[in-house]
Amino acid sequence: MKINEEFVTRLITTFIREELKKFGFERALIGLSGGVDSAVCAFLAARALGGEKVLCLIMPYGNTFPEEIDDARMVASLINCRSLIIDIQPMIDAYFARYPTDNPVLKGNKMARERMSILYDFSAREKALILGTSNKTELLIGYGTIHGDMACGINPLGDLYKTQIRQLAAWLGVPEKIRKKAPTAGLWAGQTDEGEIGLTYEELDKILYELVDLRRSRQELLDGGYDPVKINRVWEMMKRSEFKRRQPPIIKLSARTVGHDFLYPYDWDR
Amino acid sequence: MKCALVQFAPHLGLLEKNLELHYEFIERALQEGIDLIIFPELSLTGYTLKDLTSEVALNPRKNNRLDRIKNLSQKIDIVVGLVEEGSRGLFYNSAVYYSGGEILAIHRKVFLPTFGLFEEGKFFATGRCFKTFRTRFGPAGLLICRDFLHYGASYCLLAGKADLILVLSAAPGRGMSAQAGFASSKMWELMGETISRFSTAFVLYCNRVGFEDGVVFAGGSFIYDPWGERLLRGPDLEPAFLVQEIDLENLNRARKTWSFLRDDRPEIILNSLQNLMTKNED
Repeated sequence: MKINEEFVTRLITTFIREELKKFGFERALIGLSGGVDSAVCAFLAARALGGEKVLCLIMPYGNTFPEEIDDARMVASLINCRSLIIDIQPMIDAYFARYPTDNPVLKGNKMARERMSILYDFSAREKALILGTSNKTELLIGYGTIHGDMACGINPLGDLYKTQIRQLAAWLGVPEKIRKKAPTAGLWAGQTDEGEIGLTYEELDKILYELVDLRRSRQELLDGGYDPVKINRVWEMMKRSEFKRRQPPIIKLSARTVGHDFLYPYDWDR
Repeated sequence: MKCALVQFAPHLGLLEKNLELHYEFIERALQEGIDLIIFPELSLTGYTLKDLTSEVALNPRKNNRLDRIKNLSQKIDIVVGLVEEGSRGLFYNSAVYYSGGEILAIHRKVFLPTFGLFEEGKFFATGRCFKTFRTRFGPAGLLICRDFLHYGASYCLLAGKADLILVLSAAPGRGMSAQAGFASSKMWELMGETISRFSTAFVLYCNRVGFEDGVVFAGGSFIYDPWGERLLRGPDLEPAFLVQEIDLENLNRARKTWSFLRDDRPEIILNSLQNLMTKNED
């Protein structure tokens, strides 16, 4: 699973530059959380375009996680880019004042979609292409909010597992403090990805790599000594989250239907 | 003879814009005294066409949009990739060889990858033959991308006594490791070395670069001589105008040393294939 950091960096930076050019954007836009994924994305964007062509939005909910805000600001200053802190608390509180809930998942999804909505607004204001920060691990198990943090213009990180992102982060010079902290969706204090998923990223990525990249069957993994509970958990998460990785099905009525047999490339006439 | 491989990124679906790029590269080749210039697969249209396939298709024997390329070929041999409209409604992924102001040969891609990320079989009709044809440099054969990975295709060109095996490609880079480069690039080079050595022929492989719908085309174009020695290797990912002098006398030298071509028995191969085919087993 080891990657060649220099080669991957070359690929991703070329991709970012080419996509901006193809679609006529002037800069890249990234939502910085203070975590390693968005930090890596910002470092790559700055390498691709120069810091002056990167805009980072830091969108905390009030002052719940001050350290994350500090870390996000540190990333922005390291790559010399413009950054903006936008507090989403007023919008979120206004909504939940009318429709109250104690369910942290509902709150978390709402916050993710609020941030998405701000990113898309700034994308139009600034002619900036939104760079997604969902990694391959998250995409495969569906650990993200559909139309929330999964939404983006292009995703330069989506074919790298979390452990590969960490490897790349070290090579790119992302500060150790950011690389070493426990990944979290930041929905409540003490929440960690690994606590919620029930596996460490090392375990999870190894199982996904075997199933997805090496095309091994679950039986082969069992025979290889993997914990059956963990294999099944990963398999179920993959299965149950396919809807997050796809456009929703469109009912097929006519002879030619969007999504079925109206098939144009994304880069149509680019 | 002097050859050029144009490792570039066509615009997807924009025939006119790509034609302009072709003229520029051909003019440059003329200035540099090139005899043969080779463009990648679907160089005039881009690769991931899907439903654009029919919209960018043309018949090179009838359509005058390629006349300027045809005229330029009075001074330099030119190989381009395009969507060829054959019979009405049938579209082929084709390579056209221009020379002396004429079309010397057209090859329609036979092996259309349709699996995983490839969808060619959904949009293209299947070519039906591999052949060699006379050029001013000697007999040559055209292959398009996946054709080259089926060694039967190259065998047909050996049986046709090809001196030059010209491969137009739009091969994505796939497979990462701790080493730089894609696993898939090594696969192409392995075939290049093998086919050139055992056909005692030159293999000229022109692969494109650039991104389409998130897929990266790997570049890494190459030329192998009839000894299986690599004469040239283009960069990964980056566009490049690759020029190589080729000594055709090496065909004689290699074939004196290794008599694969002289000793080949296409009639026995054909007989064996027929026997295998008549068994008609699933």
